Amino acid sequence: MNGELPAGMIALTLRVAAVATLLALPPAVALGYTLARHRFRGRSLVQALVALPMVLPPVAVGLGLLWLFGRRGPLGALLDSVGIEIIFTWYAAVLAAALVGFPLFARACEQAFAEVDPRYERMARSLGASPLRAFATVSVPLARRGILYGALLAFARGLGEFGATAIVAGIVPARTETLALGIWSRIQTGDDAGARALCAASFALALGAMLVAELWLRREAPAVVSAARP
Amino acid sequence: MSGETCIRARLARGEFTLDVELRTDARVVVLFGPSGSGKSTLLEVLLGLHAGTSPCVRIAGRWLDDPERRFSLRIEERDLGWVPQEPLLFPHLDVAANLRFGARRAGAEAGRALADAIDVLELGPLLARRVDRLSGGERSRVALGRALASGPRALLLDEPLASLDLPLRARVLPYLLRVRDAKDLPIFYVTHDPDEAQVVGEWVAVLDHGRVVATGEPRAVLWSRAVLPLSEALGLENVIEARVRACGDGAAQVETRGGVWLSVPAPALLAEGETLRLGLPARDLLLAAEPPGRISARNVLPARVVRLEPADDGVLVHVDAGEPLVAKLTRDAVRALELAPGQPVFCVIKAQSLRRLA
Repeated sequence: MNGELPAGMIALTLRVAAVATLLALPPAVALGYTLARHRFRGRSLVQALVALPMVLPPVAVGLGLLWLFGRRGPLGALLDSVGIEIIFTWYAAVLAAALVGFPLFARACEQAFAEVDPRYERMARSLGASPLRAFATVSVPLARRGILYGALLAFARGLGEFGATAIVAGIVPARTETLALGIWSRIQTGDDAGARALCAASFALALGAMLVAELWLRREAPAVVSAARP
Repeated sequence: MSGETCIRARLARGEFTLDVELRTDARVVVLFGPSGSGKSTLLEVLLGLHAGTSPCVRIAGRWLDDPERRFSLRIEERDLGWVPQEPLLFPHLDVAANLRFGARRAGAEAGRALADAIDVLELGPLLARRVDRLSGGERSRVALGRALASGPRALLLDEPLASLDLPLRARVLPYLLRVRDAKDLPIFYVTHDPDEAQVVGEWVAVLDHGRVVATGEPRAVLWSRAVLPLSEALGLENVIEARVRACGDGAAQVETRGGVWLSVPAPALLAEGETLRLGLPARDLLLAAEPPGRISARNVLPARVVRLEPADDGVLVHVDAGEPLVAKLTRDAVRALELAPGQPVFCVIKAQSLRRLA
């Protein structure tokens, strides 16, 4: 490929990271809220489990996914029976990116919700809002800053995901070959110039994502999350 | 409004236990007591935050919790207008959206409930304002408006003035009274301020250490011997309701409900016909056996001693000056004037001692 801009690969990388972030959003918000609002037995265990994909070797996470979603795996067999194939498709790359980004995302959500004064939710309910509506119209908007920050972190993490992705998605040019996988395959084939170009593209994407995150944090006026004390 | 209010609540939280039983036909109920007495916790019970403790709550004939039938409305089903001490306006919404959040529940009546709230509390000019651009007094009014706009079946006001400084209280309290008088709604008003208790309520329950220690008509209860140590510690004073009759140079003439004319300082613009509530500390009320001669005090009222009540640090002399008033004197002073029930005296009141409450 000799240094030309790998537009398709960049588009795939962005698409994988974006879809992975959207996929992780509902569980991250739900789990973050639950951990922030409820004290229950096994809470610490849940928190530790959530953090696992971040601290495990990504290759191990990939093998886990391969086992789960492989054609004879518990979930893979089920999906196979309805004709959906995950492994070695870009769906697998999405799954891998979502999973490794999830811990950061859920933690950011937990912190965001912990900073929202629960009395606002009580007020919403006293005004007739169901728990769900209070959550959607009060808790989430007040925590939006932290949620979006978590989403950007997860997105940025997804952009660079390699280990788990390589195991479950393989390196299928134009189908599953994201930037990180592309760099690896260029190095394997001795295409140093190509690897360098892809590195530069990765660098630009990652920098862009983190810049957006920082600018977003700065632009959003610090949300008023607890009532001003007299 | 019709029907009896009765509340039974028992709960323990750490060291603190609340054990309360109330029964009244009054529409405006004041829950009065020092901080930590359990009055706010009791309000939380009404709100439905302690459903697990099987309280029994019926407000103006409407059941909210009935443990015998294992019946308990959820927070969002109770149709209560809650105004906490900190207004808890939703910071991500502007004033109009905060009001609409409440109005949603009012259903078909929403438009009218909203317009009513805006009208009574004069919120029109604030509607487009961001919540963090409101002053303390405006915030309280918007919180009250949001509760009203929700078309509640009762109002729960938890120290709605406590976070405001004194001059601001005098500006917001009239709005509270307008709400009280404009709507035939049951109101629960939590306060530790004896002035507010006397101005707002028609019936008061005094709480101390999680228990009800007295109930009844506010003035009678707060000045009663049993409650006096508590109410005095919280700043009990005479509360006089009066109407402005004439405004002059730095002073206004007001006429009390009992028909007594008083001279009060009028630094701010007072309008003739306006209703005022004035506070007069019992220790600032002088009694004279004979009419004083030339004196700076602007008000000298002929009166008659009604009764004497010894207090820890003096004697409370209840007098009838056309308006029931209480003076606090030392035992020494009572002896020197040989005060006894039925005896004629003169009440001497500096205009400056009369502080506008609302």
